[in-house]
Amino acid sequence: MAENPQEQTQDIHFQVIRTIDGQEFKSLIQASLTWLRTNQQLINSLNVFPVPDGDTGTNMLLTMQSAYNEIAESSETRIGPIAHDLAQGALLGARGNSGVILSQIWRGFARTMDNLETMDADLFVKGLIEAKNTAYKGVVRPVEGTILTVAKDIATAAEEAAFETNDLLKVLEAVVDAANESVRRTPDLLPILKQAGVVDSGGKGLYIILEGMLRSSKGYSLETPLMMVQPLEGMNLQNIKESVEEGQDYEVVVDFKPEGNLDLDNFYQGLTEIGTSIQVGEGDGMYRMHIHVEEDKRYEPIDYTMKYGTITKVAMENLVEQTGGNGPDGSLKLELAEVQPGQIAVVVVSPGDGISRIFASLGAAAIVQGGQTMNPSTEEILRSFENLPTEKIIILPNNKNIILAAESAATMTVKTVRVIRSKNVPQGLSAILRLDPDGDLDSIVKQMDESLTDIETGEITTATRTVQINEVDVKEGEVIALHNGQLIKSSSSLEEACFEFLKNAGTTERERITIFYGSNIERPHVNEIADLIRSKYPKQELEIHEGGQPHYQFIISVE
Amino acid sequence: MAEINKILGNIYMSNRALATIASESALESYGVVGITGKNVMTGIAKVLVKDPTLGVNVTYENESLAIDIYVIIEYGTRVQSVANSVSENIKYQIEKATGLTVTQVNVHVRGLRISYTD
Repeated sequence: MAENPQEQTQDIHFQVIRTIDGQEFKSLIQASLTWLRTNQQLINSLNVFPVPDGDTGTNMLLTMQSAYNEIAESSETRIGPIAHDLAQGALLGARGNSGVILSQIWRGFARTMDNLETMDADLFVKGLIEAKNTAYKGVVRPVEGTILTVAKDIATAAEEAAFETNDLLKVLEAVVDAANESVRRTPDLLPILKQAGVVDSGGKGLYIILEGMLRSSKGYSLETPLMMVQPLEGMNLQNIKESVEEGQDYEVVVDFKPEGNLDLDNFYQGLTEIGTSIQVGEGDGMYRMHIHVEEDKRYEPIDYTMKYGTITKVAMENLVEQTGGNGPDGSLKLELAEVQPGQIAVVVVSPGDGISRIFASLGAAAIVQGGQTMNPSTEEILRSFENLPTEKIIILPNNKNIILAAESAATMTVKTVRVIRSKNVPQGLSAILRLDPDGDLDSIVKQMDESLTDIETGEITTATRTVQINEVDVKEGEVIALHNGQLIKSSSSLEEACFEFLKNAGTTERERITIFYGSNIERPHVNEIADLIRSKYPKQELEIHEGGQPHYQFIISVE
Repeated sequence: MAEINKILGNIYMSNRALATIASESALESYGVVGITGKNVMTGIAKVLVKDPTLGVNVTYENESLAIDIYVIIEYGTRVQSVANSVSENIKYQIEKATGLTVTQVNVHVRGLRISYTD
């Protein structure tokens, strides 16, 4: 940062920043990227639909990562060329709607930076205005209450701030404040957000990007995510269960009643020194704290919380045991089919370890991890089969959001690749059963395609939002059932949701029910439900497998 | 023409109705700046159309609904990402409004509009 030695004081007053050059801009972008990565899950959690499908945070992060990669090695000191490279990187890496809009924002910004050496407050304002204009150009009917509105509000705020001061830091402060305000107002402008009880995720992402710049300018940490205190029942513990960090083997949940007023910031800060995946929930004067810690630290969160109040309940779980004990590194030992040259190889996208094992046992030659909330990229899919010693590849995406990535992987290789448009795991399994590695590719593909419609698929998961879809009222925390991807039932009971699906799928006319249970349900509970199903459908064969998938208690197929 | 069987009778949905949902959804998608006629010959593809049936093809066969849509996209956006979100949005909106299952959405990019040359 350009310094002004006279005004250099500690903490409260920051140095006045008149101009910044390309390298300084680069370090701000790096801060944005870090801050976005830190808060990725928070943005992902702002999804509107009751099924866990949020990936705006991930999309924006990948877009920013690609943008930063273009400038990471550059020693260019002029801000103009740096901004242009950044915009180019954002364009190339744009993922999802929010990513495309973000790339347009950088494009407009870069245009203003032209070929200039440095940026002052006035130029910053012009950049934001041009960014807004470019972003709005990309759509005929701009929807307000989205990232576009936030881009507009910050441009206005920057313009006003620049009348008062030519200190870039002050202008940036005003911009971040305005972004925060604007994000908060998004539910008033966009009814679907209000219905779902969230703010706009793309707008929040843009706010995080700007806030990252401000935080690094002020020397604040970029490692601790923004805290969200949420209603107790809204704590989505399954969501974070799947991401077990290395070494963080234990999950500890403590309920407590604080003595007097709880100083949340302080409390949270202390927790960050003990472990990761921290969540704090509040309701009726009660608090719940959730954390992942190392084995020998597993009692620390309890001792720590005791200092803040009276503990009412403690729950501790060994996460590694829970994920099936795949060894300390969490890696899977899968026996994949060995393909000979000339044979057909099947590449499978699988959301859980158990499901991967089943696919492997049925002859999959490569497995890509991925599902509802983590869609693998085209490149990951491509990499999975590029080295297989055969030219004939069949991909089973097993998720509607992954079909496009699989299809674009198919166009990027010299191998003959066919994508079977399987939208879920049961369809994928039904397809792979038709595999004959030495058969004729076209006729196998045809059989697999036809097999997709033979099967009824049910997905049972927990709603993360209160919302109304397909005339079904869904309450947050309730169990919902989807039949072939369509929401059919929301219920407080898991059993009821399962039976509604089985009824809807016309199970009495079918022969076999197969259940894959997820990582968020215990085996004894599965057995209880299985007994109920057996007594209600005694004529149907019932098979139960450990699927290990996150989010979904059950994936059920009826054939 | 799509058909939904109900106990009291049938509901018929015209291609025009479905095309309207599709074109509205496309126009709401970021990066799409217009719908263009499917039959417009090369060279004059820039002609934007107001009537949704001109820029959208609806095919309903064996209970499977396929949509073809012809769009103009803003130059400078990543065309692939824009097209992906157009098809997802169309599928979502039609399924939400009608309960029919959309099996295919083909997005035909007929041209790019250049607002800025950079």
